[in-house]
Amino acid sequence: MNECAVDRRTVIATGAVLAASLSLGSAPAGARASMDTRTTPLTRDITLSVNGTDHAIRVDTRMTLLDALRDKLGLTGSKKGCDQGQCGACTIHVEGERHLACLTLTVAVEGLHITTVEGLAEGESLHPMQQAFIDHDAFQCGYCTSGQIMSAIACVREGHAGSDEDIREYMSGNLCRCAAYPNIVAAVNQAKNEMERG
Amino acid sequence: MSVGNTAAPAPLANMGEPIRRSESVAKVTGRLVYAADAPGQSPLQAYFLTSAIARGRVLSIDAAPAEALDGVVKVYTHLNAPRRIATPYTQKGGYASDTNMPLTGPEIHHDGQIIAMVIAETYEIARDASHRIVTRYDATTPAATIDSPGVDILHPDALAEKEKKAGDFAAALAAAPVKVEGVYSTPAQHQNAIELYSTTASWSAGELTIHEPSQFVVELANGAAAMMGIDPSKVHVVNPYMGGAFGGKGFMTQRTALVAGAARELARPVRNVVTRDQGFTLATYRSETKHHVRLAADHDGRLLAYGHESWEMQSRHDDYPLAGFGVTTAMYGKPAILTRVNLVKADRQTSGFMRAPVEMPYMYPLESAMDELAFALDMDPIELRRVNDIRESPIDGARFTSRSLMRCYDEAAASFGWSKRDPTPGSMREGDWLIGYGCATAGYPTHMAPATARVTLSADGSARVEVAGHDSGQGTYTALGQVAARELGIDPERVHVAMGDSRLPAAPASSNSLATASIGSAVKLAIDKLRSRFGNALPDDRDRSAAFARLGVSEIGDLGEFLPPGTNPEVLGMLRKGQVPFANQARGDESKNGKPLMFAFGAEFVEVRIHRLTREIRVPRMTGAFAAGRIVNPRTARSQLMGGMIWGMSSALLEATEIDEKRGRYVNDSLGEYLMAVNADVPRVDVIMVPEEDPEVNPLGVKGIGELGIVGTAAAVANAVHHATGKRIRDLPIVMDKLLA
Ligand code: FES
Ligand code: FES
Repeated sequence: MNECAVDRRTVIATGAVLAASLSLGSAPAGARASMDTRTTPLTRDITLSVNGTDHAIRVDTRMTLLDALRDKLGLTGSKKGCDQGQCGACTIHVEGERHLACLTLTVAVEGLHITTVEGLAEGESLHPMQQAFIDHDAFQCGYCTSGQIMSAIACVREGHAGSDEDIREYMSGNLCRCAAYPNIVAAVNQAKNEMERG
Repeated sequence: MSVGNTAAPAPLANMGEPIRRSESVAKVTGRLVYAADAPGQSPLQAYFLTSAIARGRVLSIDAAPAEALDGVVKVYTHLNAPRRIATPYTQKGGYASDTNMPLTGPEIHHDGQIIAMVIAETYEIARDASHRIVTRYDATTPAATIDSPGVDILHPDALAEKEKKAGDFAAALAAAPVKVEGVYSTPAQHQNAIELYSTTASWSAGELTIHEPSQFVVELANGAAAMMGIDPSKVHVVNPYMGGAFGGKGFMTQRTALVAGAARELARPVRNVVTRDQGFTLATYRSETKHHVRLAADHDGRLLAYGHESWEMQSRHDDYPLAGFGVTTAMYGKPAILTRVNLVKADRQTSGFMRAPVEMPYMYPLESAMDELAFALDMDPIELRRVNDIRESPIDGARFTSRSLMRCYDEAAASFGWSKRDPTPGSMREGDWLIGYGCATAGYPTHMAPATARVTLSADGSARVEVAGHDSGQGTYTALGQVAARELGIDPERVHVAMGDSRLPAAPASSNSLATASIGSAVKLAIDKLRSRFGNALPDDRDRSAAFARLGVSEIGDLGEFLPPGTNPEVLGMLRKGQVPFANQARGDESKNGKPLMFAFGAEFVEVRIHRLTREIRVPRMTGAFAAGRIVNPRTARSQLMGGMIWGMSSALLEATEIDEKRGRYVNDSLGEYLMAVNADVPRVDVIMVPEEDPEVNPLGVKGIGELGIVGTAAAVANAVHHATGKRIRDLPIVMDKLLA
């Protein structure tokens, strides 16, 4: 039997202190970081530009862009599959480049242009990548699909869709547990041609 | 649709059209609403704190630092938890997938058990607060792996029926000229659907509405009602679409009642989204298994003896036995058979469904051993299967309704180029890469469950199908629309399918690959009833309005009730209560009372390339051929079979939930550390659907395909690895260090 007292903040903070002191060659005995004593969340009023529309919102400074999109703006097309930057389901574009919304703090993207899956189609007319995903059955459950499509469009723009091998490599940050992978590659190939013509 | 689109294979005999999923546009535009997307009335956010030990007690839990935060509404611990009523285990007449009810006392029974639930105005506050709770534990050393001291090994009498036996195994083994023997293991694995587990609960006038991903909404509604102590008619579960499930969203977990209980007490809607790491311990999973397999044959390869003893990891509090001998003994020959299953009770959460829960861990050792036997006989592994292909069960002589195993082998082998294989291990190379070809059998029983569905036909020629079924990506909406359209003689575009709502006609759990067969059969029966109202011929476009005018209605609906053959009408009552008739099931792998065996089969071929020096393993291509009765939609069917094969490959080479043996804790509980196949791991997958007709299995002639694809792949990979290297890895996953050892 052994007794232990744990709270996660102490573990994290202590770990950091230990790591820092180890690098100096001495570990203080019983290092325990002081607790964060603030009790009121820090908030900020910001304007988010999403899919061409400005939204004035008040956010907790800890709020991720993913949660802001979903909970503050009601744009639930971007999905949370891990909240840790490991699945790609939350992929969005910031100034046309792909980013993980779960690893982006909302306050950090004020004034930048954000595009989500909801901003791709023009009216009823789908983006070629969206159409290609349908044509090639590049999804089953569809939960990873918003992120896949956002990544796929960026992948083509980056010039990383030159070969099947490149597509597979540069689409590997987007997990698909239904494993539609070969169909996703086929979809990117189809849309690539149309985007390049387009 | 572009020409030559492999995603939409042209239908062969007994296949429907490869039409697109009915919800396609919503899925690519982000408009589809999943459970955690449901627009709410700004719910409170619940965040769980889970135990940092696997066994012991909470000595004290200090929530004051959490409660001091602005925006924290309540912190629940075992001292003040919301009121719930315990429900028994699903296999014992209740609704719980794991009966360990959190926050009822200080005891901790497994790693990551819920020890507190913070309710706050925002997610950020709830998460922060949970980290401020200070817990003191009295930790006891857990017994957490099959070989740990302190586990209890049980051999329950109740499983005797599943322990198949035939002839005198010991004598047959002793007399046989060729024998192989091995101990195999499969690791713990987690379903890890990309959609996280979640619950949103809200109360209004004593009625509870739940948005939660569920593969069995009728069960969830009845289970939540039982735990809340209210009438089931007062619970409404809404979950039209799921972001993958794979078994993880099967039966109700303890989370639902916790969240619903908090929502009731606080009189506000409450949402909980389980974090990825918490999802590893707050739902069921595939537990690890171990197998001792013995095979013996004559010099021509005919099986003489098959012995199989297994050990399956279990929680202390519930039994989820697999005992997959009904499947393995339906594969080959007429050997003497001896099987035995042991349940290993340990300090772990309760295990449960994960894609091919029974078949994957039991077919892997059998199909590996078959390859070992072929090697010992110096025989082609396909020929070994051919010599032992059967028309009847070696246990009781029961016949198969249909069995196309060798056709699958022949088609897959031809397409794969098996004839180019030099059987000598290590003989095929390209540069620094050793090449291996391997194959294995996939077999999945055709199970069926009772189901009901309402079909309504309108005078304008459109139709509505309503059923409390589920679509977690299989394409159930599309398939049911096609089934109804075919029977009604109208275009599938004219059929609207509504599912994922507990108030619709009751449907079984979306598991065991039985949805299309069971619900589809209920749809067909409903349409048969409709037809009888029109003098046994449904009106077509020309006479429809006149026919409806004669009846004096603008639409007409009927309920179809499908009772699987061999079950009694009582099972429909159980279905409506959200219960599985475990004692009275229509299982494809059970042949008692003269019932035939019902199976879908497949043959899977894999090429591996293993680096000569580093032993890096790649799978450049896989080919699978499958025969599964009528294929309703070749497009969605191909995607499911392909996904299954990739799961199998992933299972063979990547997936394992690693356990810290001393502490009984999972160590790789994230998508970064729990490896599963990514796009770069999957260059090429060829799926062949072999036409097969089986009018006997059910009114639609449909067998399940959702799990078939995964069943043989892991063994095919292992067999290919042996062919490439001469090394037999019997413990999954097969990783570089095992090949270097
Ligand atoms: S949710 Fe952002 S990467 Fe998974
Ligand atoms: S479509 Fe289900 S996770 Fe990709």
